Parts: sequence; structure tokens; C-alpha cells
Amino acid sequence: MPRAPRGSGSSQRPRAEAVPPRATAGSRPTEAPARTLDARRTQVVAPSVSQESTVPKEGGATAPRFRIFIVDAGWNSVAHKVLVENFALIRDLQKDDPIYVLSREQSIAFQRRHGTRIGRDPIIAVHDLAAMDESGTTDFHGFRLSLGLLRTPQQALQGLQAFARFLVTHRRSTDLEAEIRADLRREGLAGAIEIILHHEAREMGE
Amino acid sequence: MPERFGDILTLLMGALAVGYVVYEIERRRRKLHDIWDVLDEEDALLTAQLEDMVERGELQPYTGATLA
Repeated sequence: MPRAPRGSGSSQRPRAEAVPPRATAGSRPTEAPARTLDARRTQVVAPSVSQESTVPKEGGATAPRFRIFIVDAGWNSVAHKVLVENFALIRDLQKDDPIYVLSREQSIAFQRRHGTRIGRDPIIAVHDLAAMDESGTTDFHGFRLSLGLLRTPQQALQGLQAFARFLVTHRRSTDLEAEIRADLRREGLAGAIEIILHHEAREMGE
Repeated sequence: MPERFGDILTLLMGALAVGYVVYEIERRRRKLHDIWDVLDEEDALLTAQLEDMVERGELQPYTGATLA
């Protein structure tokens, strides 16, 4: 169910804060060596020289539209394994947008502050920088995928694929909120049809 | 009387079937929105905390090739 409609947007995110990180976060080296989970726990990586040279111009083809955050406390779950196994591909597909991976400690601290999120991780939160520049965080400003709620490898993989597909196909959207809600409605309708068809099929099989 | 009973039973079963479909659709809709959801004013605090971590430099764009 879509949540409450847009509010007043009174606490707009200051542009001055938003612009510099966007400018520096737009591109990341793709040839970086593999790091382990332990490595990411303490990792603080400064932007490389190559990042400076490839900073996209405002409105350019590679200007970051989103900031992607991955919160994962490291449960021994199917979703965690699927994310780990497919992260490189996700990162390559989302080259234009910075991905921030919270360390295990940061993820745990985050979930201790927000207990309702426990067990839903890995959570992939996507902040829509365009929406945040426009109306801060009081209105629609992104979306999240609670990958941890998907119980089978196939579901988790499909969730990740849908996530990547959505980001790539909607990164130039002028009204992301409407498109997300439309997609959710479409999925809901598809689910309803599936239920009805399944019911009919079962009756026919009897 | 048996005909009326049969009609009532058919109606009851039909209502149960419709009720089940409505319940199942609602259940799946809720699950879908648990998995995918938009960020809005209810998530403002979480978003602000993540953005603050970026502003403070506690989080940097991930450059590793893999997570583990």
C-alpha cells in the first residue's frame, strides 16, 4: 500500500550539502582489488585521482542520480549469500551511482537504533538525489529493497535483478515516485491474476 | 427445502472463495510493500543518518570488487 501522499517538504535538504558528495561520488574505479568482509569493516576509501578526472558535469550523462546504501548485519541467510555473489555485477551495472556499504558494525549499530529493520537485511536503500534536492526527506526521496525478506535464492536473485533493472531504466525519470507506485500496482495486479489463475488451474485439475 | 439449502451452500462457498482470493491478494500486496517500499517522511530520520555518515566521511563509495 502506498504510504501517505506527499507532504509539505519543509525540511528540504540543503543543496550546498548535497552537491559536493554527488560530484565526487559519481565514478569509482572498477579495477579495484577484491576486499573481504573484514576489510570492508574498517574501510575508509578516499576518492581516487581517477575519480577527479572523470567527474561528470552537472546534468551530464554520468551524473549520479542515486546514492545506494547497503545495510547488512551479516545474517547467515540466503539473501546475504545472493547479494555477496552478485554484488560485483550490481556494482558494474550501477557504475554511475555511488554505492555505500555499511560495515557489519555500522549495520548492527544502525539496526539497534531502528529495531524494526532487524531481520530485513540485507537492505538496499536508494536515495533519489533529485528528489532530495527538491524537497529534502519529508516527501518521497527514494526507495528500499528489503532483500532479507526473500526466503529462497531464486526470489532473492529475482529481487536483485528487478532492483538493478529498475535503477537502470528509471535513472532519468522525472517522477520516480509515480513510476515506483505504478510498478507496485502492476505487480499487485499481476499477483492477483496469478492467484486467480492458480485457483482456476487447481479447480480444473480436480 | 433441499434446493434452498443447496443454493445457500453454493452462495456460502462462493463467498468463501471470493474472501480467500481477496485475503490472498491483500497478503501478497502487503508482502510486496514490505519488500519494496518508497522512502518518505517516515524514513526521514534513517535517511538523514545515512546522509550524515556520508557527509562526515564515515561512508565512502565502495570500491571493492566483491563484498566477501
